[in-house]
Amino acid sequence: MDVYPRILSRIWGVPGSHTLAVAEQHGAYNAARKALAMSPAEVTDVVLKSGLRGRGGAGFPTGRKWTFVPPPEKRGGKPVYLLCNADESEPGTFKDRFCMWNDPHQLIEGMIIASHALGVRRAYIYLRGEFEYVQRRLDAALAEAYAKGYLGENIFGTGFSFDLYTHLGAGAYICGEETALISSIEGYKGQPRLKPPFPAVKGVWESPTIVNNVETLAAVPWIIENGWEAYKAIGTEQSPGTKLFSCSGHIMKPGVYEIPLGTPMMDLLNNWCGGLRPGRTLKAIIPGGSSVPVMTPAEVAQANMDYESINKVAGSYLGSGGFIVMDDTTDMVDALTNLLRFYAHESCGQCTPCREGSAWMYNILCRLRDGFATEDDLVALRDLADNIHSRTICFFGASAAMPVQSFVTKFRDEFVARVESARAGLPAGLAVAK
Amino acid sequence: MPLVKVNGIAVEVPAGTNMIEAAKKVGVEIPHYCYHPHLSVAGNCRMCLVDVEAGGRGPDIACNMAATEGLAIRTDTPKVTQMRKSVMEFLLVNHPLDCPICDQSGECRLQDYYMEYGQHDSRLADAKMGKGKRQDIGDQIVLDAERCVQCSRCVRFSDEVTGTGELRLFNRSNQTQIGIFPGVRLSHQYQGNLADICPVGALTLKDFRFKKRVWWLKESESVCGGCATGCNTLVHHQENEVYRFTPRRNDEVNKSWICDQGRLSYKEVTSLKRLTGAKVDGKRAELPEAANAAALLLKGAKVGVVFGAKATTEANWAAVKLVRARLPNARAYVIEGNDPDAFTYQDEILVDSDKTPNRFGAALTASQLGSVGDAEALKSALAAGEIDALLVLHDDVVGRLGLAAPKVLVYVGTFKNATSSAASVVLPAAHSIEQPGTWINRQGRVQRLRKTVAPAGDSVADYTAVDAIGRAFGGAIIPEMPAAIFQELAAGVKALNGLTLKGLGHGGQLITLSAPSAVADQPGQAAPAK
Repeated sequence: MDVYPRILSRIWGVPGSHTLAVAEQHGAYNAARKALAMSPAEVTDVVLKSGLRGRGGAGFPTGRKWTFVPPPEKRGGKPVYLLCNADESEPGTFKDRFCMWNDPHQLIEGMIIASHALGVRRAYIYLRGEFEYVQRRLDAALAEAYAKGYLGENIFGTGFSFDLYTHLGAGAYICGEETALISSIEGYKGQPRLKPPFPAVKGVWESPTIVNNVETLAAVPWIIENGWEAYKAIGTEQSPGTKLFSCSGHIMKPGVYEIPLGTPMMDLLNNWCGGLRPGRTLKAIIPGGSSVPVMTPAEVAQANMDYESINKVAGSYLGSGGFIVMDDTTDMVDALTNLLRFYAHESCGQCTPCREGSAWMYNILCRLRDGFATEDDLVALRDLADNIHSRTICFFGASAAMPVQSFVTKFRDEFVARVESARAGLPAGLAVAK
Repeated sequence: MPLVKVNGIAVEVPAGTNMIEAAKKVGVEIPHYCYHPHLSVAGNCRMCLVDVEAGGRGPDIACNMAATEGLAIRTDTPKVTQMRKSVMEFLLVNHPLDCPICDQSGECRLQDYYMEYGQHDSRLADAKMGKGKRQDIGDQIVLDAERCVQCSRCVRFSDEVTGTGELRLFNRSNQTQIGIFPGVRLSHQYQGNLADICPVGALTLKDFRFKKRVWWLKESESVCGGCATGCNTLVHHQENEVYRFTPRRNDEVNKSWICDQGRLSYKEVTSLKRLTGAKVDGKRAELPEAANAAALLLKGAKVGVVFGAKATTEANWAAVKLVRARLPNARAYVIEGNDPDAFTYQDEILVDSDKTPNRFGAALTASQLGSVGDAEALKSALAAGEIDALLVLHDDVVGRLGLAAPKVLVYVGTFKNATSSAASVVLPAAHSIEQPGTWINRQGRVQRLRKTVAPAGDSVADYTAVDAIGRAFGGAIIPEMPAAIFQELAAGVKALNGLTLKGLGHGGQLITLSAPSAVADQPGQAAPAK
């Protein structure tokens, strides 16, 4: 299956891959040397042309994001900051921790290159609170890089100086939202901020700030080293390159897999994930982390793992690549209730619809699961989701609403059956005989 | 200035104006909870969601939408109506239905907007969140966290206006709860504003709680007389009884705020310190009788007139006219400083160190008589016997300067003090909310007072009291109508030339003048040419 270059997971599995010595044997920091010899504009141009898209979930073209930083004369003397978003907290997504754990120097190198392109002097890796163990490994890698002069003053004798720090959050899903991350790193409660102003104009400490996902930054060294043409040759026209997929659920081989974008979803399921458990049939797949709309087997059969195909086929999203597989043993009401428990708990509590609505939806789902809900509840559930979606400061509202909208629409029978059994006075989960 | 459209109506507004304000200009109200014109934009209530026709992407919140050329929004689409309704549903889901016992009833945005945009039946089948009720968080404020809609106005007020930062929204999700840091109590002088800006009944004023249902109250415009700032106020009253003062928005003076001292100063109106009847030698008298006594005493005496920094400009003007007409040898004085019982607090937000509302007005009118004496001049003139009679408007000169009162002391004032006790004649003046008139604040802004309730007891407008002395001398010295007095005043005082009472509007008019001290610091005799 290994017919394409492995980009992100190149040295994963090599003993000691997290150490500088081993990483350098595999070519670490060559790209950084190459990039520092280029002009910042040239670096940005390569990334722009490579078509690399943000791997945090939104899939925004990285090179374009970098061009949003105002020119020096419009910054009012403020520095530019680069923040690496390592607050990976989406249920079903666990790729960034693999990146940082197995190849921390790839991320560091990516950040050196990005910082050179953006004119950044100081950058931070914002880790979720639970990643304390990852922070220790990253800090060790940073120390090695500093010792060799790859970080700090006058890197590679080019005159470029750059400092990189890790910062541990307190463990909140919302801090993965870039403006909440900024609030958190500044020491405030991790709550999203209004846009505009956008972080590229006014971000951390009121300075221009670029926030990039771990996987995005980790892909940059390979692109610089091999050229944008090589990267663009992988994947599809609009979704070039490879992507890490965190595969979990009812599959034989759960894990993180790097595959080219555009790979058929069935290929990922059957060849990489080892297929379903013997004797089981597929019921649903959440393709991009818990917040994206769920897909039915019919949709799965037609879709490829890229940004466009999933959206076109199922109205869903590639998101952060959390590939959650559910077989026929899954109770969809139960599954959705479980998901909503997370969103009801993690809502930052700022905006009215999300604050009140996510908990309200969870309450309804609990009653539905336990056999106390009515048809009105089912109507209300769908209404509430629609009333939350895109009416909040950040995307969290939509993230809580989309699972509800898709589960209730695509697996309606199961929800209706619960209401019917409740009406018939049957214990929760027992269906009315037809 | 960019041209924007609200519901198809074009309006020009300064670049960057948010669309709530732009819509207001064309008479379209966009409902909101968290937005406040004098606080930063939080954008969390989501009530101001509007549709964007052109120049942006929508739906989006109007409060964070800056006016740019070509921006067109609509608030009259079915989608906007639906969005408002759904936000109302979310806001009410955990809101207790205690309107009957809630003091905010009648001035509650939840009630108002529910009637206008909600009108839905509850779909909630689960238990509401319980939160802390009746929390004593400050000297002036009671907090009911259950009623809170988490708009964060109070949090932003304490962060941005007072800079004290006691309040926070704690926890997250639907457990989010407004609260105060442990061990902290509101201790600043602007607590009452928290009750004002709270759109619901979460923060209520201890003083006003359960006193009156607000729909019985009438609101009349006035100006606070607590210090030289001259915060614009609304007097809330019913049947001549005053229940509270609230700040009235004036972006040039007090924005939307007032200090607690000023807010609670409505209590003075009915305080036992009021002078409610005229007195001659300590004995109760009718006003004309007392005015006659005053005229007799002043006639032929060596009179000093102490112009009042708490009196209206009109009363001070009446004193000028009285001197010109009847007391040509009188000397004019304006005494700096505050009365002994004045509130001593001051800050950089609103509260001025000068506790008089009209020092400019007093100085400006007194200077019409030529040179004006200060405290030292007054003391030495009294000691030297150069003056042996005083006509005092409002100021407690006896208490302030520790004077031995002269034999003849005519006092026109609202409150009892050392001067009124020592006075041979007392003429009771109405409280500033009980009479028309003008004050000139520390900026030189001429602001209008109105008669909001009837004067207490026998008290009359302070200029009427001065005029009564004139009448006792043999004829009225000023017109009766406030507008006519002001017209005369504006014509007679150069700095006020061209102003009319009506032209002062709701926000007052700024005049240019030199510092009052520069006027008052010139000692000497007011000796108008005969």
